[in-house]
Amino acid sequence: MTLRNLVPSFGKKRVPVNFESDSPFSLLHRDMDRLFDDFFSGVDIEPFGNRYSSFSPDIEVSESDKDIKISAELPGLDEKDIDVSLTDDTLTISGEKKEEKESKEKGYYMKERSYGSFTRAIPLYTDVEADKIDAHFKKGVLTIKLPKSKKEIEAKKKITVKVD
Amino acid sequence: MTDTKRDLLKKEAELEKGVERTRAKMVFTPAVDIIEQKDYILLFADMPGVDEKTVDVTLDKDLLTIHGSVEPETQKGHRLVLSEYGTGDYERTFTVSNEIDREKIIASVKDGVLRLTLPKAAAARTRKIPVTGNA
Repeated sequence: MTLRNLVPSFGKKRVPVNFESDSPFSLLHRDMDRLFDDFFSGVDIEPFGNRYSSFSPDIEVSESDKDIKISAELPGLDEKDIDVSLTDDTLTISGEKKEEKESKEKGYYMKERSYGSFTRAIPLYTDVEADKIDAHFKKGVLTIKLPKSKKEIEAKKKITVKVD
Repeated sequence: MTDTKRDLLKKEAELEKGVERTRAKMVFTPAVDIIEQKDYILLFADMPGVDEKTVDVTLDKDLLTIHGSVEPETQKGHRLVLSEYGTGDYERTFTVSNEIDREKIIASVKDGVLRLTLPKAAAARTRKIPVTGNA
């Protein structure tokens, strides 16, 4: 846990999958995040970046005993425009949502969709098998499956509760 | 993450007062871009998770309705750790003026984006009128 981790994450750039529960700072970190998120919710400005012009995908993370599944909504992107990488314990999804050719011309009635390049870093806090990561892009949804390493699976022991 | 941000990315469809849904499924209003070109109007709607089989485009009198259904994935043994987007259907209705040639509307879906081409009726097309000098 470095000091940088205590800086509140504005918006949703870094989303921890598992908090390091053994660290005394993790609770503080979480509280700080919540405080800032609560404070800025309902306010139309964000401290960094402009939410109207840039695209940032929404993600969903689920976990089972054997793997972690991360999916991201990336409508209008091509699989060639998406870059997925793993460094240490952080999974990074980056890419660029390009405007349609026609969109660059004039004559807008309505513009609600957002474009631009994005990066989302997802800390895993779990040991995964880097060689066996599987990423699929279908119907505008990216799904990444990260199998947990054997060490990680074996580390979790089930303790039976006995009745006296 | 802030609630206002979520509203902008994926907005849950509003219901009229006193109306209830019959299915326990979320319905979202997809974000759209509408662009007018010389001979047609283009509509793009972000609907991640739909394909040509699950999207419906209907035109009833003046109302053009786009509907896409997304079935939630079965999460066997998986527990949700973080969820920023809900999975559900998409629905949005637009009014179409008489300027649109209803017979020639084209719809296609690619990578979760629905693209509608609404050609203008011949009468509504902009015509360039040549101006002659006073010779």
